[in-house]
Amino acid sequence: MGNHRKNLLSKSLTYFLLLAGTVVVLLPFWYMLITSMKPQAYIFELPPRLWPSEVSLINYQKALQTDQFGLYFMNSLFVAVLTTASTLFVSSLMAYAFARLKFRGKEVLFYFLLSGMMVPPVMLIIPQFIVAKFLDLPDKFLGLILVYITMNLSMQTFLLRGYFEGLPKEVEEAALVDGASRWLIFWKIVLPLSRPGLAVVTIFTFLFAWEEFPWANVAIKETTKRTLPIAIALFQSQHLTEWGQVFAASIMGIIPVVIVFAVFQKYFIRGISTSGLKG
Amino acid sequence: MITIKNKTNQSVQAALFLLPGFILFLTFIVGPMIYSFRISFFDWNIIFPEKSTWVGFANYLEAIRDPIFRKAVLNNAVYTLVTVPGQMIFGLLVALLLNQQIRGKAAFRVIFYLPVITSWVIVSLLFEYMFSGQAGLINYLLRDVLHIIDQNILWLADPVLAFIPIHLLGIWKGVGWTAVIFLAGLQAIPIQLFEAALVDGANRLQQFRYITLPMIRQTTIYLVVVLTAGALNAYISNLLLTNGGDPLDQTHFILTLMYEETFGNLEFGYGSAISYLLTIIVFIISVIQIRLLRNQEQV
Amino acid sequence: MSKKILAMLSVMFVMVFLISACTPTPVEEPTEEAVVEEEVEEVEAEETEEEVAEVVPVEISYWHTMSDPETEKLDELIAVFEAANPGIKVAPTRFAYSDFKAAILTGLAGGSAPDTARMDIAWVPEFADQGALKQLDGVLEGFDEIAAAVFPGPLSTNFWNGAYYGLPQNTNTQVLLWHKDTFDAAGIAVPTTMDEFAAAACALTEGETRYGYALGGTYFWAPAPIFYAMGGKVVDDAITTAEGYTNGPESVAAFTMLTDLFNEGCISPNLLGGGVGTADGHATGFYSMIIDGPWMVDIYAGNYPDFETNFALIPTGADGTTSSVVGGEDVVVFETTENTEQALVWVSFLMSEEAQKMLAEVGVMPTLAHLTGDASMPAHFEIFMEQLETAQARVPHPKWGEMDGAINNAFQRMLRGDQTVQEALDQAALEIDALLAE
Repeated sequence: MGNHRKNLLSKSLTYFLLLAGTVVVLLPFWYMLITSMKPQAYIFELPPRLWPSEVSLINYQKALQTDQFGLYFMNSLFVAVLTTASTLFVSSLMAYAFARLKFRGKEVLFYFLLSGMMVPPVMLIIPQFIVAKFLDLPDKFLGLILVYITMNLSMQTFLLRGYFEGLPKEVEEAALVDGASRWLIFWKIVLPLSRPGLAVVTIFTFLFAWEEFPWANVAIKETTKRTLPIAIALFQSQHLTEWGQVFAASIMGIIPVVIVFAVFQKYFIRGISTSGLKG
Repeated sequence: MITIKNKTNQSVQAALFLLPGFILFLTFIVGPMIYSFRISFFDWNIIFPEKSTWVGFANYLEAIRDPIFRKAVLNNAVYTLVTVPGQMIFGLLVALLLNQQIRGKAAFRVIFYLPVITSWVIVSLLFEYMFSGQAGLINYLLRDVLHIIDQNILWLADPVLAFIPIHLLGIWKGVGWTAVIFLAGLQAIPIQLFEAALVDGANRLQQFRYITLPMIRQTTIYLVVVLTAGALNAYISNLLLTNGGDPLDQTHFILTLMYEETFGNLEFGYGSAISYLLTIIVFIISVIQIRLLRNQEQV
Repeated sequence: MSKKILAMLSVMFVMVFLISACTPTPVEEPTEEAVVEEEVEEVEAEETEEEVAEVVPVEISYWHTMSDPETEKLDELIAVFEAANPGIKVAPTRFAYSDFKAAILTGLAGGSAPDTARMDIAWVPEFADQGALKQLDGVLEGFDEIAAAVFPGPLSTNFWNGAYYGLPQNTNTQVLLWHKDTFDAAGIAVPTTMDEFAAAACALTEGETRYGYALGGTYFWAPAPIFYAMGGKVVDDAITTAEGYTNGPESVAAFTMLTDLFNEGCISPNLLGGGVGTADGHATGFYSMIIDGPWMVDIYAGNYPDFETNFALIPTGADGTTSSVVGGEDVVVFETTENTEQALVWVSFLMSEEAQKMLAEVGVMPTLAHLTGDASMPAHFEIFMEQLETAQARVPHPKWGEMDGAINNAFQRMLRGDQTVQEALDQAALEIDALLAE
């Protein structure tokens, strides 16, 4: 009996804490949502309201109308999807080599690659642009995608190596004995077994490519090829921040990431608990 | 004989698997890093690099002597010391709560992860708006709802108080990620351990102290390494909330200072030197932390 | 075996490249260089293929930070220009002001700076000093005529080291905006002298619920109109010293007035950072007076359609004259352009009466002096044009950004009571002199 009550108490406490956390997490988002529905005149109303006095979708309309918002959205989606797919491919290749193949200098190479995680990306923008220019990449989506893949390589390879190492070796060894090539093993056995790990990489990489700003700002000058973060930045004029529009655009910008996360999240925890992230 | 052949064969295969990634890595990270390293020894002319003058370590010495740079290092250090433990404590708490038989687990997981998947730019703008000194939500809640303060606080106008929204943002945005990693660590603990402890009559606190904490040690150390590197490289929140260093250059992070020197004042050599100093700091701290991780592995 | 891997790998890698090459924008326009090359080839083969040369125009780029309506008007402007100059196409790119400098610098570093740009007047000496900009006097045909036709203040912002590196595409200045309802309710007249201004600022203040006056921040642009109207100077005319100017008696008097008003609570504390913005605060009556530019008309029309904007000249200083600060943008040609000739044609067009009038329709103030009072100009331009007659340019110097920072910090220190006004400006003068000496 006492045990039961104790359990009930602990359950209640759990829910109470989780709900309290939910309020703390969601309050800013709620405030963003209602602000996005306010005309500018109510942006700094006193006292601030947590419930909108009138709901208006004018900011959403304005954001959608200005400056080809839809095009930028599609551009971002295109870049993010391709970046994610390519990063998955390139980093899982590397991770497989680091996890399963024996070769000289493996440790050194791996730590060399990991050092990429310590470099602040902003410091590389100017030299990266010089390289991109040399390769004739400015103003091309490819220029964005290649750099985005590279910025993700160290982290995602590290993560996938851990995941691959955790896979049972027996199937692979049996296949090897049967004469299957390494490539076939990687493609037909390792990758299909690694969905949770790949889901983690997908979420991280998609998010990165979706929100990246500094490189997109310098690498793309052609108006029709710009990405969404640039469009959102243009809502902040020098003289007045149109908070409602900025937040309306932001909310629309969050949606794809939420969808990607919602789709892949069931693999997410499993992926992390068996990947390099568990340490 | 066979093993040697096998090994050469594997080396060739490894090279092929590694090639695409390393081509990119060398082209877009290592190359630019070397370039940037070279710049840091020059008074660099960005348009006519051949007109740049070699200054040796002058940029580095200038940075070390610069009180604004020192303040930025201190700010980053404090930010790290506050937000890393902050994210870890709340993250672990959330993970422990979610690691039970409860309803709506998936929903909570998405909710707590929402700040993580929202871009830094957006959440920084949001915090700037909420912490507005005269008509912001936070002042309103503190003053008129909770009656904790009797006067509006100009958060972003004060060189010390400005860090409160910046630190809170750092923790608020990171907790979801930390929680997910902890949760993964918690789920990897064999359930038998807890069953055995229950038989021995250990209470919850003892179970946490003697089973959970030791079992997630690796996760914990991994998080410390990654979160520390992240905190030292933070800059977007600061750039948006205080324009980098406002007021009085007192709130800079190392990277906002680097950004201002490079893109504001066109001091490319100096900016590069600052970035390299930061890279060195991050590298040393990471090596120390990874050493710790390794030692633990051997134990 | 490994051959097979190699083959598959390369196929996959090539695929990644190919996929990324299929962009959602269907028509891949020829890149700039390609156009140039073709042009050159065609010039060589001119006699045989004359009509082809006309079909492939030279494309020049033009970067700017215009607003939404201005950007739309710019497209019209480009259409007019291209119709008149069939051999030239203009490719505009819009940037957010805060990221513009980084974009230009990175472009310069990579050898792909734009051909032309419209940049903040305060940046021209800085970029000219780096060797990034083309000298225009003696290069641009008709430069002297244009220079004679524009306001001298805006023109002076293009002058560095004995040459002109740009032309003033548009100009602006700041005037006083006063909130009619609060003035009427208090029965106060619009101030014309600084003493009246100070008195009005305090009379219109009601604790923390209303402030008489508000500044956007402590950066120099914000206090500059009052600073100049009260006779303040940052450096001497030859730009050699700040000592005795930044900390001269008039400069000290201007900042003393502002600091006193702030300490009395008559200036909103938002200028220290993170408060209600001046544009929003003024429209809602929270700030009775602000000092701002001609763009406010459009901003209010778009966001506060019911708000009536009222302007007045900046109140006069002790010597009875008004003044303000010159703002605006200059059009420049980058040194790295390969299409100098075409770029110059575009610059001349932007300085033409036709182009200036078109952009004036969306609230961009022209720099051609003879357009003052022109019937086609928006009504509110009149007061800004009048204010421009006495408005002063900030110091045209490559290190201006850092000088601005020195004054900004000095202003912060005096407002916070860390230093007296004199001490703070003495320190700023020292810092600016150090910058001048570099």
